Amino acid sequence: MSFDAEKEISKLWGNLHNAQAEIGRMYYRWRQAALELAGPDANPLDVSLKAAEIIGKELGKASLPRLNWLKGEEAWLRSFAGGIALQWITQGAIVKVEPGEKPFEMFIKWERCPWPSYAKQYGVKMEEDVLCCDKILENILPDVNVFFNVNYKIETLKAIPRGQGVCLRRLYKVE
Amino acid sequence: MAKQLFEWDYSSYPGAKKYPHLFKPIDIGALTIPNRIVYAATEDNLNTHDGFVTDADVAYITNRAKGVVGGICFMQGVYMDEPRKGQGYVGQAAAWDDKYIPGLKRLADAIHSQKAIAGFQLMDCGRVGAVDVEYGHGPSAVPQRLRIFRPILEMSKAEIEEMVQQHLDAAKRGLEAGFDIIEISGIVGYLISNFISSYTNRRTDEYGGDIRGRMKVVVDIIKGLKEVCGPDVPIGIRLCAEELLDDVRGNTPEESMETYKISEEAGVDYISVTAGWQESIVPVISRDVPQGSWLYLAKRAKENVKVPIMMAYRLFDPRLPNEAIGKGELDMWQMCRPMIADPLMPLKVLEGKEEDIRWCVACNLCLARLFRDAPMTCYINPLCAHEHDPKYTDPPPPEEEKNIMIVGAGPAGLECAYVAAQRGHEVHVYDKKDQVGGTVLEASKAPYGDDELLTCIKYQETQCKKAGVHFHLGTEVNEDLIRDELPDSVVLATGPTYPQLEVPESVKDKVVSILDVLRGDAKVGDKVVVWGNRKPGIGVALFLAKQGKKVTMVGKEKSAGFDVNPSFKWRYLIYMRQNKIKTYNDCQIEQVSEGELIVKTYDGYRFPLKFDTIVLTERELNENLKNVVQGEGIELFVIGDALVPRNISSAVHDGFRIGIRI
Repeated sequence: MSFDAEKEISKLWGNLHNAQAEIGRMYYRWRQAALELAGPDANPLDVSLKAAEIIGKELGKASLPRLNWLKGEEAWLRSFAGGIALQWITQGAIVKVEPGEKPFEMFIKWERCPWPSYAKQYGVKMEEDVLCCDKILENILPDVNVFFNVNYKIETLKAIPRGQGVCLRRLYKVE
Repeated sequence: MAKQLFEWDYSSYPGAKKYPHLFKPIDIGALTIPNRIVYAATEDNLNTHDGFVTDADVAYITNRAKGVVGGICFMQGVYMDEPRKGQGYVGQAAAWDDKYIPGLKRLADAIHSQKAIAGFQLMDCGRVGAVDVEYGHGPSAVPQRLRIFRPILEMSKAEIEEMVQQHLDAAKRGLEAGFDIIEISGIVGYLISNFISSYTNRRTDEYGGDIRGRMKVVVDIIKGLKEVCGPDVPIGIRLCAEELLDDVRGNTPEESMETYKISEEAGVDYISVTAGWQESIVPVISRDVPQGSWLYLAKRAKENVKVPIMMAYRLFDPRLPNEAIGKGELDMWQMCRPMIADPLMPLKVLEGKEEDIRWCVACNLCLARLFRDAPMTCYINPLCAHEHDPKYTDPPPPEEEKNIMIVGAGPAGLECAYVAAQRGHEVHVYDKKDQVGGTVLEASKAPYGDDELLTCIKYQETQCKKAGVHFHLGTEVNEDLIRDELPDSVVLATGPTYPQLEVPESVKDKVVSILDVLRGDAKVGDKVVVWGNRKPGIGVALFLAKQGKKVTMVGKEKSAGFDVNPSFKWRYLIYMRQNKIKTYNDCQIEQVSEGELIVKTYDGYRFPLKFDTIVLTERELNENLKNVVQGEGIELFVIGDALVPRNISSAVHDGFRIGIRI
């Protein structure tokens, strides 16, 4: 049987990484297009934050069919946090999810993320990268909160673009 | 003293003796209904896109009215608002203006022409509405889980009051049109159910809060309707006994029963029991749910309220409602899909002609079509939604009576045979098997209710016998037979061919046909690769997985079950996951060797799979005999899988269409 596993896997791996890199490049090409159309008076950060808001809302909507209350709120929260992590994992990040000490609290930790590198590559300020991620995450929540009749928030404790080694975010229930 | 609109005497009919509880009268409010049969309000997308009733809908409903033999026949639910937020189906009838009354009257008159009771349903589709506008409306702006539905705007108090008034105004129009019963639709995700459910109603004003608050709008409508309708017109409501929305924090069963009690207190004359929402992840009405599964909900309702209880939901077999009514666990037998498949089903039950019933196979194609803005159609009833078209209902006799040879006694051949024979042709059906059914005989062995598919064959066989079709079973048609018989027309309904994989000689005994597997004639190992990811592949994969085999399905289609309608396909995908069937879609089998094969993905990746047995389910058209028939200058038709491998529905519809025109 003429099958070379190493060859198949390396081909697949190479293409996966190319596809992940292309996601980053594509985002920044569209950002450039939006800025050129918006004109010289537009603030690039405003344009990026608008895009982040749209992305966040879309991700929130997309998570609704995947979330399920049947196993209770703790399981629901783990699944929700895991779904957020997965969005970045598929783009090439290493993300871990751990429960906090308080009930209904989860920590999401980005140990590696390709997005600051893309920002650097396209000459975009690091702070914009952090604020865009914050905006995306913040906008995932409203639809999920309304749909499941809960009130969760997310806050950023550390960020790779700020030189803190990891991105650490706390997802928690507001009583 | 309750009033009876039409006199019916069932005493001389065999069905009334066999099913005595179905054919005895019952009082619904001030009306005496002669029997226990109800055609439930069912959308059909047959009306104009601005809500006017069409000839097609009048003909459709006339047939169903005839079928209920004096019982209640509901027209489809009407939407009631000019901005069309409440419109959930493109062909849904409207009642927001007096201009609709003449069309509605045609429907009421059509139902009365069959001596049936005319039911009028008020249905604002709420979060599953706004089919043609940008936003829907609801008690709260709870986002949609399914993207096919529109975003929801929260209704103001003024809008809620306006909506209540719209119900009352529409009811007045229904009464003016001549309807006898008014029903509120409070189920499956439509607006009233949105108010009732804790999932979709988050209001903190008087229209929200606890179950009494969430029912306020229902109570307001019922009380308003009592005034509008007066004492003589019964008012009913359809309510979920279980929403089956625990995964999104919907109502508890206890809360649902509370809605029954509150509705009764408010004055309804009957309640129709339902289960589940369109958004539920629990199957309710598909073929994999055994018939009678939901009867416990009717029983629970009977224990909680005194008004008559009716229910549909997988109650196809008349024995089930007859027994339940006899035991006091149900009062009336409601139907949608069984009377889509056979509008005269209850009439045939009454007349003792159950062998003439074309049974619904619970495939949900009808629903899938409605949700995709297409007119109603039925998987196994080609006449459905063509009741107004004489080409279908009363095809003309042929210009010359022909001697027709039909090759293949599957669903395509049988359908064609009896339809052509009824028109006056002499029809001979040949099949190499010694029984009718074609590949449905094997397909019906698949799990999750596929045995119900055989009802289609039984119906067709009966009709063939009644129409005088000649059967030549156990007879393989070949060139010589065609030349000997020299029929005027040949219909090739031979079913598909199953192309072989190229495999080494030593592996040939490990490659088996789907038909042999389902018949139990093939030896199948523990590790199985099923080649083909359409419905036949899914059926045999589940059949083998149920026996404990480790099954992997490999197929050319981009998604498994590409040929199954979306309203049923989701069930199969869940069962495949539950049975741990691994699926590789958009792939080819590139190479087969001893115990291992190579799968090649659409984009060129390759990986190995171990197997003990490969099951072939891929199909191709069947051109055998075509050249012979054409060579002899005989008129030729090719139908069913022999033409293009598809499903039972396509076979039946092909057969019918050739049967009416040959």
